[in-house]
Amino acid sequence: MKKTIQIPLGSQHISLLEPIRFKFECENEKIIGVDADVGFVHRGVELACTRSFEFKQVGYVVARVCGLCAITHTLSYTLAAEKLLGYEANDRIKYLRMLMVELDRIHSHMLCLAHTAENAGFEALFMQIMGDRELIMEVQEAISGNRIQFDYISIGGVNRDLTSELSALIRKNLGLLAEKIDTLIGLFDNNWSLSLRYKGVGVLSLEDAYTYNALGPLARAAGLATDVRAETSDFPYEEIGYKMILESTGDIHARNFVRLREIVNSIEICRNIIENLPVGEIQEKAKGKPNGEAVIRVEAPRGELFYLVRGSGQNMLDRVRIKTPTFSAIPAMMEVFKGSEYADAPAILASFDPCMSCTAK
Amino acid sequence: MFSSMLEAFLNLFRPIRTLQYPAEEIILPSGYRGLIEHDHEACIYCDKCEKVCPPGAILFFQHEAGEKEYRYNPWLCIYCGECVRACPKPEEALRQSEKKQLSAVAADGANEQWFVWEDACRQSREAYTAAKKSAKIQSKSEE
Repeated sequence: MKKTIQIPLGSQHISLLEPIRFKFECENEKIIGVDADVGFVHRGVELACTRSFEFKQVGYVVARVCGLCAITHTLSYTLAAEKLLGYEANDRIKYLRMLMVELDRIHSHMLCLAHTAENAGFEALFMQIMGDRELIMEVQEAISGNRIQFDYISIGGVNRDLTSELSALIRKNLGLLAEKIDTLIGLFDNNWSLSLRYKGVGVLSLEDAYTYNALGPLARAAGLATDVRAETSDFPYEEIGYKMILESTGDIHARNFVRLREIVNSIEICRNIIENLPVGEIQEKAKGKPNGEAVIRVEAPRGELFYLVRGSGQNMLDRVRIKTPTFSAIPAMMEVFKGSEYADAPAILASFDPCMSCTAK
Repeated sequence: MFSSMLEAFLNLFRPIRTLQYPAEEIILPSGYRGLIEHDHEACIYCDKCEKVCPPGAILFFQHEAGEKEYRYNPWLCIYCGECVRACPKPEEALRQSEKKQLSAVAADGANEQWFVWEDACRQSREAYTAAKKSAKIQSKSEE
């Protein structure tokens, strides 16, 4: 007789924001085998980029891959296209792009924390974090003119400048947020009911993180020092106060703490950017047609985002390939589930911060 | 834990954080990216906005006499402002306002009427270039 039972999680499940299916092979309450299926929201973005849109418009198309990391997708594509055009942005453009990416990271991490709290059964904390997240959404709306689809970065620069009123608003909201994050750190560290669901649950060891090629906060929580911001030189992150955040235990608690401390670091980066914003043009001419092949890596909130763009001197591109952090992290995710209780699965899944729209595109 | 319970209890007496939408007006920030506005007088009809528009929300209809007619679909527009940046006379001929477009209802014909218009625009272009070509050939043969 068969001793194990199969329990599916998804593709529609109360704890999921987006469709993903895990098939768990369970022995009593313990998960011993995992199977994952991610392709539920395929929209054919990659093909549309090469068939229906010219290379200057593709930045706006890839922004629609994902609502949360819209700015990171556009930035990656724009950097790749600019590499092909042989154009290098000036310091002001670089700083403004960095500012938006860091703001994006803050609100994306806050959404993940809120969702992890909700899946651990703490609805009130979910509401509180989502309410605080509005501070950042407000800033992003004021900078770019739209709440979700920023359309801020274009080939050759950024679309809007940072005025002094905007800088004042950013400073004010970041100050308010920093206090709230401090209380959140205390809450996540000391709250007894949260620690029951987080500490020692969903552990990814350092060896497994190496073997299964974990990335982003998932890897840094296990102590694996990997961050594209430190590895590439597209942006001057070192001079703006970037610090690599590492934890060692690799459980949900550690992942939450990597996110919380990264938010603190990102607030610091944003403040430094506003204080030291260089002078210069915000939009420059990038002439020519993309010819050749370019590969770009950018640190999205969830990990490394990879773009390959190939063109042959035409208005239309030959190939756009997007490899998203969630897709790369699936082997590591499946490893984490093995050996944990089925009841912990939603909280573990939320702590990965999976983005299915990105993955299936 | 007790501090968070106390916090949750105190929240009962704090003001509501969400916006009571139909009763309260949503205040849009200044610089909100809203509807694209076109000025018939100032426009030089260079078609640059039509070419750069990512979703194709701006289309020009070619009349036989030579003048063009501007048409804009606010429900297809993604409000990126690329047309305004491409315009040789920004803020005069084409500008981005801070007005918000309401959702389309069936009577607006956001899809059906636009598809008809897209076809009409394409056909008008083709007919115009064909007429021009034949006129050229005719004038050459007369010479």
